[in-house]
Amino acid sequence: MATKEFLAGPSAAGPARVPPSGAFARNRELLAELVRRDVKARYRGSALGVLWTLLNPILFMTVYTVVFSVLLGAVYPGGVPAAAYILTGLLVWNFFSQAVSFATSSVLSNSGLVRKVAFPWVLLTVSAVTAALVNYVISLVLLIPIYLIFHLPLALPVVLLPVLVLIPYVLALGVGLLLAAGNVFFRDLEHLVQVGLLVWLYLTPIVYPPTLVAAHDHGLGGHVFSLFFKFNPMTWVVRSMENVVTRGIWPAHWHGLVYSAAVALVLLGCGIVVFQRARRRFAEEV
Amino acid sequence: MAGGPAIEVRGLRKRFRIYHQRNQTLKQTLVSRGRGDYEEFWAVRDISLTVDPGSTLGIIGANGSGKSTLLKCIAGILTPDAGSVRVRGRLAALLEIGSGFHPEYSGRENIYLNGALLGLPRRYIQSVYDEIVAFSELGRFIDNPVKTYSSGQYMRLGFSVAVHLDPDVLLIDEVLAVGDQSFQRRCLDRIDQLKAQGRTIVFVSHGLGAVRDLCDSALWMDHGEARAAGPTERVVGEYVAAVNAQEAARLEQEMSSSPPLPGGRAGVGITELSYVGRDGPTALFETGDPFELRIAYTAPGPLQGARFYVSFVREDGVVALTVPTDDRLLRDQVLPSRGVVRLAIPRLPLLEGLFRVTVGIAEIATGEWYTLLDRIHPFRVSPGEREERGVALLGQHWTLPEPVSRWLSA
Repeated sequence: MATKEFLAGPSAAGPARVPPSGAFARNRELLAELVRRDVKARYRGSALGVLWTLLNPILFMTVYTVVFSVLLGAVYPGGVPAAAYILTGLLVWNFFSQAVSFATSSVLSNSGLVRKVAFPWVLLTVSAVTAALVNYVISLVLLIPIYLIFHLPLALPVVLLPVLVLIPYVLALGVGLLLAAGNVFFRDLEHLVQVGLLVWLYLTPIVYPPTLVAAHDHGLGGHVFSLFFKFNPMTWVVRSMENVVTRGIWPAHWHGLVYSAAVALVLLGCGIVVFQRARRRFAEEV
Repeated sequence: MAGGPAIEVRGLRKRFRIYHQRNQTLKQTLVSRGRGDYEEFWAVRDISLTVDPGSTLGIIGANGSGKSTLLKCIAGILTPDAGSVRVRGRLAALLEIGSGFHPEYSGRENIYLNGALLGLPRRYIQSVYDEIVAFSELGRFIDNPVKTYSSGQYMRLGFSVAVHLDPDVLLIDEVLAVGDQSFQRRCLDRIDQLKAQGRTIVFVSHGLGAVRDLCDSALWMDHGEARAAGPTERVVGEYVAAVNAQEAARLEQEMSSSPPLPGGRAGVGITELSYVGRDGPTALFETGDPFELRIAYTAPGPLQGARFYVSFVREDGVVALTVPTDDRLLRDQVLPSRGVVRLAIPRLPLLEGLFRVTVGIAEIATGEWYTLLDRIHPFRVSPGEREERGVALLGQHWTLPEPVSRWLSA
């Protein structure tokens, strides 16, 4: 499709003339429509609608805070209240895991479209990830009461927020494209992804403080965990987010953040290449 | 768009894999270390074609002959395994009306979504939105979710968006097969209009009439290969001839292998039915051919006061003719215990279709059936060179005003 020429031809009579527009403009509009559809589809038919986007992190925050802070006595860096720390991480994670799991099923769940309509199917995956981004941005509203309740410092480093949103977006898109293409051929992937995301959640310092990993970095198990922890790009996204949002300081681990961004870009590249190759057989396999 | 064909297909081949046992779960894949057993099947083999700008190509052929696969390759939905496809100009493919509708969405929202999927800019859809709604005749239903629509409403909405596509090259696959008569008429009118505007159209259809009416050239596909290509009349003619020959063989096979006819009440029954045409027994007629139905009957003794009854029923249930024998003649008539009754039609007025006969013998005195065989023994009527459509010829003729001589009018 991308190789087809899109030219507006001369039109005699007829209903009206479709104005010429570039493939880019049209794809942007189509993406907007698909995102609108994906966001709306999620809330239609549920009584509380968009409120769930806000309610869900609060409920999970409460559970994790009780378990990790109250029962297990975890102490979070910089003396940040457990609830504030956990909520910030959860918002990032919810976005990432939603984006990845929606992306995974994005092609297969639209099989009717893929079989019958020629358009850049990659937009289905982009749309799934972008719809999760829309939810994420809405859910960031929750930070306002957290700032007010816990008197968190609102400082200049908060300008980094867009970058800290963009990195997991690109990462989720890269991973999502790989999984979306894979899922067409191996449908078990959808279920494996759910398990994988749960494991990934615990490899990321969201519910527990990162100091916990350093404290237990002994023995083979500890080393292995610590290694995964360090090579996990989401670790550095979440830690930077904590720094910027809950403590109002510049990210303490610049190198980690740069590493995450690099991993995200490489995976995006791989995702695009794999998806575009696999795409050739989508219509016959979905 | 100047210069060159609108569509150029060179040596196109497309292969599908048919899995014996589909290994789509990871477990199976791990166990069998691969994608399982599959057979390769060439859906399209070595097709080349060019369509000039402004012309219309019809693709015909039996089910599973690769027509839709070819169309999907041109549309860019399927990627061919070999060969190339080149399309010049804006392409739109209508493979299914209303694909991409979201059931929870209102008609309004779906117009925008569907339009975007088919490549229409939002601003353009806004500008023709009222037209689309008017064309769909949905009125106030436009704001209801489409899952509440009837299939007719669904279809009209899909088509209304589709007619506003305005492409240079339009691919249409069987969409006309659905919808009621007036809807089909509107589809054809719209295609005619696009044709008049010089758009290029590729049209896959089973409706040979539509292909004849609309297409400049035709391609007949058979098992993935091009069996014939060229001017519509010639290709459609060859196709019809081949289909008829096949059908005749099938009908004869069916007749010769059909089980013996059931016996009737009181030992009166029909033993054999046959059709006789110009050259002897056949099941294939052309409109205007001589036609004879022969009914062989048997009875335990001389048959008195019996009524024979024949009805011609077309495949779609239309009864073309029901004709009993004349009771006044037969009430006191005694027929032999075995015999053949013939119903002759010197020039068969039936038009194109597959017909069956319902044949019965009744007792005139009581009105009770001895035997009644419902819709058996199919025969096919093909139109030949005729232009008439419908159930039967009505002995019609046109009368025109006296022609005016050219030199007088000048």
